[in-house]
Amino acid sequence: MAPSRDTPFRSADMSMVQLYISNEIGREVVNALGELGLVQFRDLNSEQSAFQRAFTQDIRRLDNVERQLRYFHAQMEKAGIPLRKLDLDVETLAPPTTTDIDELAERSQGLEQRVSSLNESYETLKKREVELTEWRWVLREAGGFFDRAHGNVEEIRASTDNDDAPLLQDVEHNNSAPDVERSFSGMNIGFVAGVIVRDRVAAFERILWRTLRGNLYMNQAEIPEPLIDPATNETVQKNVFVIFAHGKEILAKIRKISESMGAEVYNVDENSDLRRDQVHEVNARLNDVQNVLRNTQTTLGAELSQISQSLSAWMILVGKEKAVYNTLNLFSYDRARRTLIAEGWCPTHDLPLIRSTLQDVNNRAGLSVPSIINEIRTNKTPPTYLKTNKFTEAFQTIVNAYGTATYQEVNPAIPVIVTFPFLFAVMFGDFGHALIMLSAALAMIYWEKPLKKVTFELFAMVYYGRYIALVMAVFSVFTGLIYNDVFSKSMTLFDSQWEWVVPEGFEKGTLVARLKSENYRYPFGLDWRWHGTENDLLFSNSYKMKMSIILGWAHMTYSLCFSYINARHFKRPIDIWGNFVPGMIFFQSIFGYLVMCIIYKWTVFWFDPANPQQPPGLLNMLIYMFLQPGFIDMPLYPGQKYVQVFLLLLALIQVPILLFLKPFYLRWEHNRARAKGYRGLGERSRVSALDGDDEDGNGNGRHSVASDDEGVAMITQDLDDEEHEEFEFGEVMIHQVIHTIEFCLNCVSHTASYLRLWALSLAHQQLSAVLWSMTLGPALKTTGIGGAIYIVITFTAFLCLSCIILIIMEGVSAMLHSLRLAWVESFSKFAEFGGWPFAPFSFKQMLEESEELKEYTG
Amino acid sequence: MANGWSIFVGLAVIVAMCVGAWVFAPKGENQVLWRSSLILSFVSCYLMWAITFLAQLHPLIEPRRSDLRKEYVHH
Repeated sequence: MAPSRDTPFRSADMSMVQLYISNEIGREVVNALGELGLVQFRDLNSEQSAFQRAFTQDIRRLDNVERQLRYFHAQMEKAGIPLRKLDLDVETLAPPTTTDIDELAERSQGLEQRVSSLNESYETLKKREVELTEWRWVLREAGGFFDRAHGNVEEIRASTDNDDAPLLQDVEHNNSAPDVERSFSGMNIGFVAGVIVRDRVAAFERILWRTLRGNLYMNQAEIPEPLIDPATNETVQKNVFVIFAHGKEILAKIRKISESMGAEVYNVDENSDLRRDQVHEVNARLNDVQNVLRNTQTTLGAELSQISQSLSAWMILVGKEKAVYNTLNLFSYDRARRTLIAEGWCPTHDLPLIRSTLQDVNNRAGLSVPSIINEIRTNKTPPTYLKTNKFTEAFQTIVNAYGTATYQEVNPAIPVIVTFPFLFAVMFGDFGHALIMLSAALAMIYWEKPLKKVTFELFAMVYYGRYIALVMAVFSVFTGLIYNDVFSKSMTLFDSQWEWVVPEGFEKGTLVARLKSENYRYPFGLDWRWHGTENDLLFSNSYKMKMSIILGWAHMTYSLCFSYINARHFKRPIDIWGNFVPGMIFFQSIFGYLVMCIIYKWTVFWFDPANPQQPPGLLNMLIYMFLQPGFIDMPLYPGQKYVQVFLLLLALIQVPILLFLKPFYLRWEHNRARAKGYRGLGERSRVSALDGDDEDGNGNGRHSVASDDEGVAMITQDLDDEEHEEFEFGEVMIHQVIHTIEFCLNCVSHTASYLRLWALSLAHQQLSAVLWSMTLGPALKTTGIGGAIYIVITFTAFLCLSCIILIIMEGVSAMLHSLRLAWVESFSKFAEFGGWPFAPFSFKQMLEESEELKEYTG
Repeated sequence: MANGWSIFVGLAVIVAMCVGAWVFAPKGENQVLWRSSLILSFVSCYLMWAITFLAQLHPLIEPRRSDLRKEYVHH
């Protein structure tokens, strides 16, 4: 007796289906179903580890391709080549064939090799270039030292001639040598030249000094231009050093220390002619290297920018393909018959669509063996699938934030679409603020498409709730008109029902208003005459408090009615007679009565000159109704005593009914069934109509069909999570006691909770009045040019503060309170929230949710 | 003009609007959504208007203020 189509009123009808797919087209079928996004597959290989599954090899291969693509992306980022993002709203990707994927894999393999070899040679060349540059610097700087030092050789000699310093004894031997020997080698002094990172110079010097005990002469110069470290691509500052020392061992030691300190030692000839040649040679080589380097870079850039054109598409293709194989891994693979068997949930009404999709894939593949889709009966609870459109989506989300509705119970989002924004508006009611909010919401809806791309998180959140904002703003416009509040001022839309009683010769003093006519009342909203009066709050508080109670009562009664609809839908009459009816009577006989009294009191003309009466206080009346039944402080209507006692008794009688009717009925029903010989469905319920005998002690596992004969179908059923529980009276009773206590107490506390409507609307109105009196109010009294400037400044402040405090902050607070009223006060009356969400295999959803693929889609 | 009977006139208008919403709700799977949302909005708004109207029907207190200027009191 299912309805002809799924509506948002309940979650969709779901069916457990089994698919028999030929192995050859498994991939294509899953691809097509992924595009459709309507089937949630169950894992049929839960006892197999990820490595044992049939398609793990393919996934590995795709992982490799994905790694290569990510490598390209990293290279592109390094080279600063922008990625062309794929806009999935505009472009669609055709489902790839296996050959496409193979080609892609091969191509990316080739490209990877090419890019990495280019990269490698680039890096080698770069290193070479840096080395040559350093060498050139060393030659240049060291040359300077040498030139200066040569000039000093004479002096050094002169200074040592007289001294018998043993260190320089050799020098004296060579004293008579010709001009050629006026060199360091002649003095038996060697040197080491090289380059070191500037930060390490001090440490380097200290170590050398200590190890050589001061037997060295170190010269250094800063390289003015920063050098690039080819390994990290970062710039480093380096120094050239030339160390002169005495003796081969010491020189070797210096070399070792330099190497261990990360310095580069370069070969420099001390002869200036040779050095000049060296410089020329180095320059020539540097030129060559730079040329090659430039070529390599352009080739690499060209290669990468070509890749950048299609990288996003490839990435998405590979992502989808991986998801397909992951899904295929959930299927049971029968090697003997080369069939894949899948099981999953799908909406019953979409079965024809799924069927035709399978047929299409089959036809396209030209396969003679048809794919079979089979609906199977099961005792498992289906997932809750609530279809949404762009309007209901956000409302559904705030409901789902509380919980997932039970399968097929009334969708709690249906009343929320109106009640949530309406209760918000009761708290937010201000015509001016509502108009600003309305224009913001309308703007977001008008520029829906371009704004969708905004990734700023806070805005994205507001944008997501744009339809909620729209409905909230529309209702706020209405409540603003009712409260007659626009930026805390009032509008004189209609004639007031009041007029001032002005005594003769009135100059100054207190005025009291009187009704203009017995037959005229302010037709829409609050009379503007109340605005700015001394007893304004006295009136509006009483009015808003009573309104909160009435609206709360209406909201809760309405919500409670859904529990009747639920009970009827699930064919549980006991929930109607044991829960809904007594609960409703209990609630109405106390709070329904209170609401009736409030309304009645309003309709009575208490100060009728013919029959003047004292109006009774309703709060006292309600308190006395409980504390002293039968005692009436001030009568509201004749016969009140009896009515109240009757209602109180009626309410009290409901408590035992609520407590005992349902548990005892259930026990009676259970015992009756037992007496008739029925037993519970048992822990094992077999779904298969075909095999009843293979009870192999592994009832919840999968049976391989390889050895079975033709007629046995592959019916699988996980029975580990048992749906049918043993009836236990104690548990049912405890549950009902909790429900009763909760319900009765909640009737009181929830009604009181609705007073937040009054409190927040009062706060909003008072805040906006204060804002006015602190900004524009005094400014409007000033005159002249100063007054104009004053108004400009205070108006800016007024507008900004209105938007920030009164619209955003107050709006958020009113929204949270309204959310609470929906979640707690309303949902507790009817919704169970015992479902689990439907999560179909869908490419669209996958792409939306994947963080990794997000940077490739625009 | 607007007196106690307005409540019932308003009720009649709202009932008519609800019936209209029920009948003219666009067909399709969202029909239930249209119907429930429209009717619920109409009823909520009516409720609020009616409460406001009733609260002023036989007021127990009158506006009182002492900051009025002589020129203004007759407006």
